[in-house]
Amino acid sequence: MLEVSGLCKSFGGRPALADLSFRIGAGEIYGLLGHNGAGKSTALGIILGMIHPDRGDVTIDGVSVRSHRAHALAKVGAIFEAPAFYDYLSGWENLRVLMGYSGGFDPASARTTVELVGLSERIHSKVRTYSHGMRQRLALAQSLLPEPAILLLDEPTDGLDPEGIKWFRDFILTLRRERGMTVLFNSHLLAEVELMCDRVAILRDGRRVFEGAIGGLHDEAQLFEVGLDPWTAVADVVTACGGDIPAPGRLRLPLGADPALLVAALVRAGVSVRAFAPIHRSLEDLYMDLRHPESAPTR
Amino acid sequence: MLFLQQLRGELRKLYARPRTWMGYGAFLLMEVLILWVYRREGSQRHMRDLIERNNLEFGDYYSSLTITFTIMLLSMFLLGSVFFALVAGDIVAKENEDGNLRMVFARPVSRLRLLLIKYAAVCLYTFSFVFFVGISGYLMAVAAVGWEGGLFVMEPRMKVFAAYPDWWQGAGRLALSAAGIGLSMITLSSLAFMFSCLKIKPAAATILTLTILFVDMILQGFPFFKPYETWFVTWRMSAWVFLMETHLSWPKLIESYAFLFGLNLTFLTLGWAVFQSRDFKT
Repeated sequence: MLEVSGLCKSFGGRPALADLSFRIGAGEIYGLLGHNGAGKSTALGIILGMIHPDRGDVTIDGVSVRSHRAHALAKVGAIFEAPAFYDYLSGWENLRVLMGYSGGFDPASARTTVELVGLSERIHSKVRTYSHGMRQRLALAQSLLPEPAILLLDEPTDGLDPEGIKWFRDFILTLRRERGMTVLFNSHLLAEVELMCDRVAILRDGRRVFEGAIGGLHDEAQLFEVGLDPWTAVADVVTACGGDIPAPGRLRLPLGADPALLVAALVRAGVSVRAFAPIHRSLEDLYMDLRHPESAPTR
Repeated sequence: MLFLQQLRGELRKLYARPRTWMGYGAFLLMEVLILWVYRREGSQRHMRDLIERNNLEFGDYYSSLTITFTIMLLSMFLLGSVFFALVAGDIVAKENEDGNLRMVFARPVSRLRLLLIKYAAVCLYTFSFVFFVGISGYLMAVAAVGWEGGLFVMEPRMKVFAAYPDWWQGAGRLALSAAGIGLSMITLSSLAFMFSCLKIKPAAATILTLTILFVDMILQGFPFFKPYETWFVTWRMSAWVFLMETHLSWPKLIESYAFLFGLNLTFLTLGWAVFQSRDFKT
């Protein structure tokens, strides 16, 4: 559905993206995670044709954004953090203007979408009177007009209250369930990405340092927090069971290995086992490890 | 058809902004002021001298048409240019500054098409504004001195002198001159539009445009540049006055408007080239 291949971009000699590639299948929710300045928004800008890449290309449904931007974006909707509407126009007039660039304004579908996002009551008020949450709802409405197949979300929940964030997340998940919408979710809110996305890529300084399924984050290895004594006898036993010691107080076993067997072997070796607790690896753990690899010996 | 719908959207945005209406308000105020001055005895005496020195009857030519012509002659270049530069200088740069362009760029519209829509809106604004000044000036003048009378034209700098005793003939020439001013002022708007496409603040686009206009105007006034005056943009922009001559000199008019048209096209092309190659970061 959306393919990003070998994107490179520098601003004033400073690389913002270095050989970024990923692929999003139809109906998938793909998260793009990274710190501020990691290159997430640059990637989104290139996907939308707002930024010219130094190298690489983006294709949407097989159509290149670089060479056929208007055609490629025909089925794309986008939402940005702090969406900048024409404040001096009403929400309805904003939709009219923006839809005009997408082939024409259809009042009936605009009305339906406005109802869907829960903005009917205020749609004829000037946007300058809207709260941040209402702006995001309007942003959602404009992105859904007319009928996109792909949604690009650039930190859309920033600044929303917890209720607003939940509403937004449920809305996107409903869209995917009911319309089979493909979504690229660009964020630094790890919990949101974990709750919404099927797969995630993590960017660091313009490079993709990780890509994988959210469901598979816990399945790479088994990690345990342990209290063992004496520690000197532990290493041989762990190695014999196929594991290793990533840090003092931590043991790692390969996927599928039975921790009970390790505990038994430790006891047999005369080690006193005071604690043996599994550590569940969250997206946040993974992200922090990748962000600061030098300070992540335990993962 | 879609282009017209998009243009309508652009005009809706343009006229929804308070700063677009500033020019209208300023001109209405100025017209009231000019009319007040025209009602003063000293001013009337000056007009009488001017008209009678040319062996014409003051009563025939001290009219709403003559006053309207004077309003347009005196005000359009100095005051009008400020508002044209303001609106055209804002049209791209302001949307970029406010972040609105991001929303537009998420739409399947090419940059060239987007610029053409905006440029068409600027041209329409410029053209219609000139007619607004002409019509509102005329209506105010009618309220002040009545509708009857001919048209007296005197523009020493461009060496144009004409008198139209018949109201219809005078009104026709005045309407023609308004169209000429409109076309001339589009060059100024095109210049501001080009600057608006650059990576600069909207105010900078406006100031740069006005600076170029005024520098051109000042240099043109230097005796040294007299032989080269036709190379000055402001001289070419003043060519609308030739539309008031009793016998229209079409070669002179076509030459000037072709010159301005070429400039407009150059400004638009340069603006587009920059706009096309720019990165619009989020």
